[in-house]
Amino acid sequence: MKRTSKSPFVFSFPLLAGLACLLPGVTTGGCVSIDSQDAKPIIATHVADWRDEVIYQILVDRFADGDVNNDYSISPGALAKYQGGDWKGIEDHLDYLQALGVTTLWISPVVRNISADANIDGYHGYWQENLSEINPYFGDMSSLREMTAAAHEAGMKVVLDIVCNHMGQVFFYDINKNGLPDVSVYGSGGPGSPLTQVSEYAPDYDPNGVQSYSSAGGSGRAPIIFINDPTVDRVLPGPGILGSAAAYHGKGQILSYDNINDQPDEEVMTGDFPGGLKDIATENEEVRATLADAFATWVEQADFDGFLIDTVKHVEHSFWTEFGNTVRQRLKAEGKNNFLMFGEAFDGDDILLGSYTQPGQLDSVFYFSQHYTVFQRVFEYAHDHTMQMGTDQIQTLWDAKTVNYGSIPQTDGVPIAPYKLLVNFLDNHDVPRFLYDSAGDLPALRNALTLNMMAEGIPCIYYGTEQEFNGGNDPANREVLWNTGFPTTGDTFTHIAKLAQIRKQYIALRRGDTKVIWSSTHVGTEQDAGIFAFERAGGDAGSAYGLVVMNTNDTQTSSTANGTATMTTTLKGKTVLVDVLDPAQAKYTVNSDSTLSLTLKPQTSMILIPQSAVSSGS
Amino acid sequence: MFRHRLCSSLLLAAAGVTSFSTLAHAQQQPGDTSAPVVPGATVTNPPPPVLAPLPARSPSLQTTQTNDGTTTTAPTEAPPTDRTTIGPSTRATDSLQATEKVDAPQSAAGGRFEFGSYGRVQVASDLRGGTGQPANVVSHGTRIDEDSYAELELRREDDFAHGIHTKVVATLALFAPFFHFNGQETQSLAVRNLYAQAQYGKLTMWVGSRMYRGDDIYLLDWWPLDNQNTYGGGLGWNFDDKNSVAIHAGMTRLDDPTYQYQQIQVVAPFGSGVTNVTTLDRPRLIESAKYTHLIIPKGQTAGVKLVAYGEGHEISAGTTTDTVTNTQQALPSDWGFMVGGEAAFFTGKRDTFLQIFLRHARGLAAYDPLSTPTTFGQDKTTQGANETVLAIGGNYEKDWFGILVGGYVRFFRDASASQTSLQKYDEGTMVLRPQVYIGDHWGVAVEGSYQERRYAETVDTSNTALVASEWRAGIIPYFSPAGRGSYKRPQFRLLYAVTARNEGARELYAPQDVFAQRAVEHYAGVGVEWWFNSSSYP
Repeated sequence: MKRTSKSPFVFSFPLLAGLACLLPGVTTGGCVSIDSQDAKPIIATHVADWRDEVIYQILVDRFADGDVNNDYSISPGALAKYQGGDWKGIEDHLDYLQALGVTTLWISPVVRNISADANIDGYHGYWQENLSEINPYFGDMSSLREMTAAAHEAGMKVVLDIVCNHMGQVFFYDINKNGLPDVSVYGSGGPGSPLTQVSEYAPDYDPNGVQSYSSAGGSGRAPIIFINDPTVDRVLPGPGILGSAAAYHGKGQILSYDNINDQPDEEVMTGDFPGGLKDIATENEEVRATLADAFATWVEQADFDGFLIDTVKHVEHSFWTEFGNTVRQRLKAEGKNNFLMFGEAFDGDDILLGSYTQPGQLDSVFYFSQHYTVFQRVFEYAHDHTMQMGTDQIQTLWDAKTVNYGSIPQTDGVPIAPYKLLVNFLDNHDVPRFLYDSAGDLPALRNALTLNMMAEGIPCIYYGTEQEFNGGNDPANREVLWNTGFPTTGDTFTHIAKLAQIRKQYIALRRGDTKVIWSSTHVGTEQDAGIFAFERAGGDAGSAYGLVVMNTNDTQTSSTANGTATMTTTLKGKTVLVDVLDPAQAKYTVNSDSTLSLTLKPQTSMILIPQSAVSSGS
Repeated sequence: MFRHRLCSSLLLAAAGVTSFSTLAHAQQQPGDTSAPVVPGATVTNPPPPVLAPLPARSPSLQTTQTNDGTTTTAPTEAPPTDRTTIGPSTRATDSLQATEKVDAPQSAAGGRFEFGSYGRVQVASDLRGGTGQPANVVSHGTRIDEDSYAELELRREDDFAHGIHTKVVATLALFAPFFHFNGQETQSLAVRNLYAQAQYGKLTMWVGSRMYRGDDIYLLDWWPLDNQNTYGGGLGWNFDDKNSVAIHAGMTRLDDPTYQYQQIQVVAPFGSGVTNVTTLDRPRLIESAKYTHLIIPKGQTAGVKLVAYGEGHEISAGTTTDTVTNTQQALPSDWGFMVGGEAAFFTGKRDTFLQIFLRHARGLAAYDPLSTPTTFGQDKTTQGANETVLAIGGNYEKDWFGILVGGYVRFFRDASASQTSLQKYDEGTMVLRPQVYIGDHWGVAVEGSYQERRYAETVDTSNTALVASEWRAGIIPYFSPAGRGSYKRPQFRLLYAVTARNEGARELYAPQDVFAQRAVEHYAGVGVEWWFNSSSYP
């Protein structure tokens, strides 16, 4: 795999070597050449069971700067601007990720973006300008391919973040028809004539489409005019129909995010995304074909293993059916099976989230309802008992999985029921980091990480969590990781690494079904305040067994018992369990009636594995 | 009057005098992806070599022109007075020496002023209603379609006691376009020479701002071995008429606030307002050494010239400042070296010669001092960058026929961490320009060439490297008042060239550029080229 272009020259026969280099189709030692990792890959299936994976979400601009030569216009320290991270940086630090126990990389979008708008940069990748072109701030096609190839070689997978809902702010609405993008003030301020500021970049949502008007009154739909400013990569978007007004709804920016009957209303579906990001008319068949082709092509170009699909709730369900089927069938025909597509709907409505996993749609979703209901209310608020909720919240939410989420694997998709495949996460790039909302509560973070890694589904860790980043809202939650020096000895880093190792070692903790055996409404001084316990056993794990018990209370040493009630397991009496999370590997014996009374210090957890399994290492 | 260019350069090297001009190397250098490489840029190629007389003040070679237009070159013990000058003759210098014991050394008869020039003006159509445009894809492509350019040299020469000869040279360069083309009364100018030189016996010294370089390849408008453009000075020593050595040290400091020179505004220490403070000032220091050896069998006009050459480049550490946030970024020190050589065979007759160059540069020396490296290693130095060049040039003339040859292969690798980069490439070209002389003053040249650059960059849609290449053919009927010969000037020309460009060559340009859309380019027009009495092109 070592390319030859680094060797300077064949000194012994310089002329011959030189001439040979320039003969078409001939490459010799010393000549530039394209090795297999730089070339278009032969795509393949790299994953066996997605539940075995540990996803690590990377904001490429913030992870590692592997090539200073693509640091275009960076502003070090200004988090709303490009910082210099790139794909080469990821490739260079795969060992760091492996030490953490990560097996799958989820990278931010790779397509060309509007590079800057109103002095804010498109470093995150969500200001799409052309879906067929690469974002040069992160490297070139070869460096992208090298990164994915290196990841695959290391046994890792790579998931690509894509956006089907909107493009960047590629056009303005010419409301006053002067051909210029204005920010105007209307009205006199007097009675019946309020002062109203109207931005032609991002006017308010109008269900009839943004209207033109003047002092003389309305005059129909405002023309859509694409902006041409190549200095910030803001030019006619592409490919194809995305460069025409027909590809957009043209209704202005969303004002209300109401759900009706657990589904987004029309405004959410057809309005422009905040920031003036133009909503794509995804019901248009040509648009659908263009989007499916554009993103499937990226898989073919760089051998990605899955998609995280942004803002799925802003797109109609029928799109996901068509998009999903088109992409799956195309990739399957080329040898790429088990291709994971999970959606991001920034919403705590569990029914809404589940609706995108119904038959024909997506394999999974980003488990946002769990983020709010569990990690925020139970773990982040542990420091404030007036805010903290009981662990019964967890059980309630989990019990609804089989109801709200798809129970049938998608055809040609991941062969696992969506409700078993939800992507668990504490925080991400759109919400404050856990340590920000928890007021720096490190024990709560580690306890939450334990649940995140042991819960059924696929755990996902937002980059920097391992280094205890604590940024607030965007962009403070998008810190530069390389400033830490990539240490691997911190308490949270080693905690995650240990959890990943345990998860990897015991199949029950990856593939076993879930049974909650203790939860509590108590958050105060009650005996079982903050206790939550669930078994991982059976299902695709066979006879393997694991039991996770945690105390989410930050002050109370609590027990798996309350009065006369004691936690009952599905184990036979006398079974000896070993706490594999405990450095001392403490042992506990199940009572003859299958009950098990455990006491846990505040904000600690146990991962209990039958001694026989621990001895055998499985 | 004619003096063989290779022999001349021997003496000039020792004297610290450049052989041929440069300038274009300011735009087109190792590692520089300007004009012909990066689409959309314009090129001002360097002027060609000129075979003008030189101010020989030591045992030298004398070249004479015979009645049939051929030339001969032979060693001579006495400096010739073979040019038309305004100033004193050698005898005048001798007479001055006679008075030395009485008066302090001084200039004889007030010295003399000289005017010299190199220039070319070309205007061409692309036969589609537009102007003809250069289409090279390599750093040093054929010059048939190069842009207009001129140098005007004013020179003061004096002879003093003890055989001391001095000259003060000021050369002004003019860059196209000129007023009659674009209607702009402003003109791009550059001071290409502003230096003084003294020659005293075998010793020569100079100080100033100077083009300082060796032999070129005319068809490529390129000085492949030594080509310095610095503020500095040099010393030369002629051991004898066949061996000389020259050394030089100089510096450049480009106005690049992120690399070499930055001034920022601060609050003035007194009163209100601001004042400028220099926060980045790190010139690149360049040292060069050159040894030249000439082999000419006794009684022969043919011979061999051998040159060994080396350079050192250093730049100190510094900091660049973000003027908005006042944050500083460290710039590390850097260095590099270059070694190379030249071997040339010449017949001494009618400019017939063949020359071969080989050079290898590493680190900072792989980048021309008049350009800023555009890519770096992760430590932001150029360590790891390297360049290797093998080049040939030559000319053959006999009776009514002549042929010019130029070509090279070049391997450039930047220091970037990325395995793929547009700054990692192999390139090369071969140009042949045969010509027939019709009578004493007319001729027709035809030219054929091929050039190619192979980038360590993947074509997105394939598994292959990006390869830009093109074939070019041209015809140049000309009128030569100075007679037959490839190097006779002035030369009035009609020009036509057609260039067939491959897909890779077109991919170098933005899709909106016609050069991204057209596979064939035409260049048809008229041109003239001259050179005379220039220090830069002796």
